[in-house]
Amino acid sequence: MSRPLLYLSYQQDTALLNTPGKRFWTSVLGIVAVSLPFLLTDDLLVVLATACVASIGAIGLNLVTGYAGQVSLGHAFFLAIGAYTAAALSGDPDSTRLIGFGITSVPIWLLAAGLVAGLAGLIVAPLAARLRGLYLAVVTLGLVFIGEHVFKHWRDLTGGVGVGRPAAVPELFGIQFAVDGSLFTKAQKLYLLMLVLLVIFGVLARNLVRSRIGRALAAVRDRDLAAEVIGVDVTRYKMIAFAVSSFYAGVAGALLYVMIGFVEPGSFNLGMSVQYIAMVLIGGVATISGSVLGALFITLLPRVTRELPAVLPFISSSSAAGGITVFQVETILYGLLIIAFLIFEPRGLFGIWIRLRTYWKSWPFSH
Amino acid sequence: MSTIATRVRERARKTPGGIALREKDLGIWQQVSWLQYWDTAELVGHALIALGIEPGDRVAIHSENRREWLYTDVGTVAVRAATVGLYPTNPVAEVGYLLRHSGAKVLIAEDQEQVDKALAVDDLPELRHIVYVEPRGIRYRYDDPRLIAWPDFLALGTEHRAAHPNAVAQRMIDARPDDVVTLIYTSGTTGPPKGVMLTGANVDFAIQELVERGGFTAPPPSPRDSVLSYLPLCHVAERIFSGWFGAGAGVCVHFAESIETVATNLHEVQPTVLFGVPRIWEKIAAGVQIRIESADPVKRLVGGYWLRRADWIGGILAANGGRHTAASRAVYAIGWLFCYRALKDRVGLRKVRYAACGAAPIAPEVLRFFMGLGLPMHEVYGMTENTAVATANRPGRVKVGTVGEPHEGVEVRIDESTGEILTRHPGTFAGYWQDPEATAKVLGPDGWLHTGDVGEWVDGTHLRITDRMKDIIITAGGKNVAPSELENALKASPYIKEAVVIGDRRKFLTALIGIEPDTVGHWAQVRRLPYSTYGDLSAKPEVIGLVQGVVDEVNERFATVEQVRSFRLLPKVLDHEDGELTATQKVKRTAVATAFAGLVESMYGGYGGGAR
Repeated sequence: MSRPLLYLSYQQDTALLNTPGKRFWTSVLGIVAVSLPFLLTDDLLVVLATACVASIGAIGLNLVTGYAGQVSLGHAFFLAIGAYTAAALSGDPDSTRLIGFGITSVPIWLLAAGLVAGLAGLIVAPLAARLRGLYLAVVTLGLVFIGEHVFKHWRDLTGGVGVGRPAAVPELFGIQFAVDGSLFTKAQKLYLLMLVLLVIFGVLARNLVRSRIGRALAAVRDRDLAAEVIGVDVTRYKMIAFAVSSFYAGVAGALLYVMIGFVEPGSFNLGMSVQYIAMVLIGGVATISGSVLGALFITLLPRVTRELPAVLPFISSSSAAGGITVFQVETILYGLLIIAFLIFEPRGLFGIWIRLRTYWKSWPFSH
Repeated sequence: MSTIATRVRERARKTPGGIALREKDLGIWQQVSWLQYWDTAELVGHALIALGIEPGDRVAIHSENRREWLYTDVGTVAVRAATVGLYPTNPVAEVGYLLRHSGAKVLIAEDQEQVDKALAVDDLPELRHIVYVEPRGIRYRYDDPRLIAWPDFLALGTEHRAAHPNAVAQRMIDARPDDVVTLIYTSGTTGPPKGVMLTGANVDFAIQELVERGGFTAPPPSPRDSVLSYLPLCHVAERIFSGWFGAGAGVCVHFAESIETVATNLHEVQPTVLFGVPRIWEKIAAGVQIRIESADPVKRLVGGYWLRRADWIGGILAANGGRHTAASRAVYAIGWLFCYRALKDRVGLRKVRYAACGAAPIAPEVLRFFMGLGLPMHEVYGMTENTAVATANRPGRVKVGTVGEPHEGVEVRIDESTGEILTRHPGTFAGYWQDPEATAKVLGPDGWLHTGDVGEWVDGTHLRITDRMKDIIITAGGKNVAPSELENALKASPYIKEAVVIGDRRKFLTALIGIEPDTVGHWAQVRRLPYSTYGDLSAKPEVIGLVQGVVDEVNERFATVEQVRSFRLLPKVLDHEDGELTATQKVKRTAVATAFAGLVESMYGGYGGGAR
């Protein structure tokens, strides 16, 4: 079809890859992503695998905050639920110290992690039906503190502060992903697994947002009263948004510590929630590809800041050396980036991309 | 006897699944195959028989271009009746005149607006049925016994087809070459519209000449071509390009949503064959210039540079009959990469392999502009009375400023004494409907049609048209001036939409000029010139200065007696409903001169100071 704008069916109009250009560049991107394990070193692959997982989490947050417009600072709470559900399910059943069921098959614990987190989201959702904006943000913030407290003290599940427990064990069709194999290293296998999962969950999310549900969510975001008037059941769609978003958070939480192999209950704090908010804001509100971009950006940022002490002598790599540490620089950078993006490019990295694309698409006119 | 009905039926037999029509409905282009096209048209035929339409009766259509228009046209011709098209913009009085004069028995009205117009006319003894296509606002609210909804109308056809399966086929067999298949009312810049009777033989000749033998395009149109149907189908030009190109050559017809969305629809459809009246081409050209001027600096620089190059390329093409020289081809190739490809795509002209302009004179600059962008642009000439078959610029043999060479088998000559163009061929109409007097005035006993246009031969092969005979101005000094040339030179400016040159029996020439609100509005915005309405904008001294600049520039190209000495800007947009334009958007000179008599007199030192 050489007339891309001549829509002959609704399917063609709403297709994910509706132009030859998109089809071409998506396949190029796919080939590059698959060939990366053979081009990059293992430590970088681990970072990229983490970025893939973070992307799933960011997509989840974007669904509720970006698409449905419900500000949530409680993302870390749902990530934690996912992480511990998966860890407990795949944990050593013979351990005396920790809960464990020995189910190491990825699909089972992944789904379970998602479902439990989703259920938690569903329980929280009625709050969102009654609260809006800042109030909702504060309430979801409360979730993080409750979660932090519970996870710190439920030693049978989490191992307690400073001790932690082993993360979920990834195993599929008898293949162990978290150990070096004869053909692939651990990092290569994990990267490919996470990449495949990201593609699956990314496409699922894209499908969701271009459907009836997605349009209903956007209606709720833009004006809940107006949405109600045009026949959108606001309460129901807010619940769906929270449930799906939490499901994604659960999945991401389950996978997040697989690379390190260890979970520490103290890590699911407000900082983590803010990190995900940053991913969404920097990547692009209400876009799936933006979430992935943001997650990549935020996850790769520490890799970059770690190189800073070599260039800027006043930044040190540990607090003992005095001066400003890389960790502080990182935190400051998050803040600065969020401020800068909100002021200069509220649509995030994705907005920059859209702007570039429009510039060339509208050539030689301005619009 | 082959008619458009037999042609559509033939296509339905040969390529039943091929796409005949596309129309946008809720954002999706709905497709109609040839089989569906013929099936519905045949149903319409049966329904018309069921409503008592006999051979020779008239069926009127009052609608924008849409599928039902063509279904009705084909169905009507199939049952040997004649189609009468009414312009959607026709006001009540004209609708009344046309329905009464044509004596239509059935009216197909698009929507509540058109139904209301017909219902507002009292004295229509022959109109028995009004079929409405869009039920909104009519169904369950109107109780006029003549009203039938389109689905019910088709149901009548289904019923009739079940009872008399061969009724339509039999009428098609009985069809004779001298059956009147359509009445096309000429808009008439003077006097009431006249109904041009075109017979089956006329239409058949036109289809053979223009479509099958490729009288316009080379190679001839084929099912791989597509057109956008956006000009009124009641006009002979659009009937050719969307009705007959489809029936005759299987070209896929896309209906534009409305005249306002033509730009968007062009961008979507990217037709391969495009016909436009000068107004459309002028508007596209002005749009391109304005949009490049208002782009950001880089785009403005690049776009502006390549537009100037396009001017140069257009000049070379015009000088070479539409063919490239090595240099112009090389420049075009680079420009294509940087600008022309994207620009044509944005405007919707990227796939156009044949572009034509006709129905009114156009300024050569506009033609050159499009030729420079790489659009194969051809000016063509014809009129309703000769089924639009007269002359055309043929691909590769273009002479800008002329209307081209006579078609094959068409006789064209110029009357020695008056300079009037005469044509003779089998497409010459059968006469004006119920007006033998008017027929006798234009149609000689020897079969020569008096076109009413004054012209001359260029290089012995191409015809150049000076003007309409009755429009020629004779100044008080006794000088003959063709106003259209001046007017088109003025209208070639993106800032000028309408220009009416006045000066018959006057000392000097003057002009009433209507500005183009979009471009002048933008111009004023850029200069931070506040304005409220069209009238306010027209009255701004700065705007008058802008137009003065254009007028001065144009004047330089003309001899002293042919120069516009003074002008006034029209305080309102000319409109069909106010009787200032014809349905085809041509200016009615006398109406305008009368309506703005005060402005005209002020230019000749009469009463009123005027703005300048």
